[in-house]
Amino acid sequence: MCLGIPMQIRGIEGYVARCEAKGIERDVNLFMMQEEELAVDDFVVVHVGYAIQKITPQEAQTAWELYDQMLAAG
Amino acid sequence: MTISANQWLDRIRSLPLERTVRIMNVCGGHERSISMAGLRKALPASIELIPGPGCPVCICPEEDLFEAIQLALHEDIILVAFGDMLRVPVNVKKCDARTLEQAKARGADIRPLASPTEAVKIARENPETPVIFFAAGFETTTAPVAAMLVEGAPDNLFVLLSGRLTWPAVAMLLESGDAGFDALVAPGHVATVMGPEEWQFAVDKHNIPAAIAGFTPQSLLAAMYSVIRQIIDGRCFLDNCYPELVREGGNPAARRQLQQAFHVRAANWRGIGIIPGSGYVLRTAFMQHDARKHFPDYVEDARKRAGEMPPGCDCAKVVLGKIYPNECRLYGKACVPRNPVGPCMVSDEGACRIWWANGMRQPSPGKEAQANG
Repeated sequence: MCLGIPMQIRGIEGYVARCEAKGIERDVNLFMMQEEELAVDDFVVVHVGYAIQKITPQEAQTAWELYDQMLAAG
Repeated sequence: MTISANQWLDRIRSLPLERTVRIMNVCGGHERSISMAGLRKALPASIELIPGPGCPVCICPEEDLFEAIQLALHEDIILVAFGDMLRVPVNVKKCDARTLEQAKARGADIRPLASPTEAVKIARENPETPVIFFAAGFETTTAPVAAMLVEGAPDNLFVLLSGRLTWPAVAMLLESGDAGFDALVAPGHVATVMGPEEWQFAVDKHNIPAAIAGFTPQSLLAAMYSVIRQIIDGRCFLDNCYPELVREGGNPAARRQLQQAFHVRAANWRGIGIIPGSGYVLRTAFMQHDARKHFPDYVEDARKRAGEMPPGCDCAKVVLGKIYPNECRLYGKACVPRNPVGPCMVSDEGACRIWWANGMRQPSPGKEAQANG
């Protein structure tokens, strides 16, 4: 229940961002990210529909590579 | 340079470890990664990995589940909950609804959700119907519930809150004098929200080596390497092996919203009992969204007691890391994922479910005989 996944912001409207990961798009709430400057193409870690932290593109890519390995192994 | 999992394993194997080290994790996500990656088999036998209190579904008080089931059955409401909660059984007569899923089969309007934003959406789509959000979870999940309330929830949305803080359960174990572990791997996403500082007590008060880890084998092994090195060097500190997400102070907006919406008080953990300072409760300013205030008839104090796991079920010992999942008498016999007896076999975060899903089908004679992949 406490696992977050990295997603890339495709669009922002108020506190809602359209985010994408692995070709899947979701609306993500940004209310918990008020202290961060966020823009289209930024990466955030999303947990239960809320962004909980901003991460760099490199960190997002590394995380996904490792998650992919885990999913393939699982 | 990224260090691979195999390189971390080599580094750990090369450490001059002279005694058994028991490392506890307190996150279902960590336990899943450890089991999926087969880290127990890959690590030297002298390193024990103990799954601790890392499953909010497993410790959600029986009385809260009972309250949710009764509300859904007897009130003209919509009850929404994270999907994991729907199959967790309560202790009632066989003819009564034991789970939210069974209550749903009897006609109650119960809907699984994946985000608090869905609760808001359902409440807006059904303005004449009270929508009760049964919200169980640790800090990472409770913070979005706080954000939902602070941002502004519809008048017909009520929260039946079972939010818990993770660290007080670890503090309780350490203060018991029989913690059963020598080092701690702290949960990465809890620390992302709350900040790493929450775990400093383990080092300062209890001299327990601690490291915050992410969810990949690499990050977990880095944390394990760190705490073992700390033991060997005789120098404890709180290491952050998930710096890409875990920053000093955590997520300040999320922490502010948590504080704005909830206060913290002693709370019951299923099968464990009352843990001081471990539960979130809605503040007076958000009382209009408190399901317990709006539907007080369903709060049954009589059900509030420790040790209320189903008969024969050892989930309480599993949650506290006192036994491994396959040491429970019911594991793999009366209790399997398709027909779970205890909550640890229901939730994806539950140690029993994780062990079963990763192929551990043999009972264990005792904690020393650790065999899980």
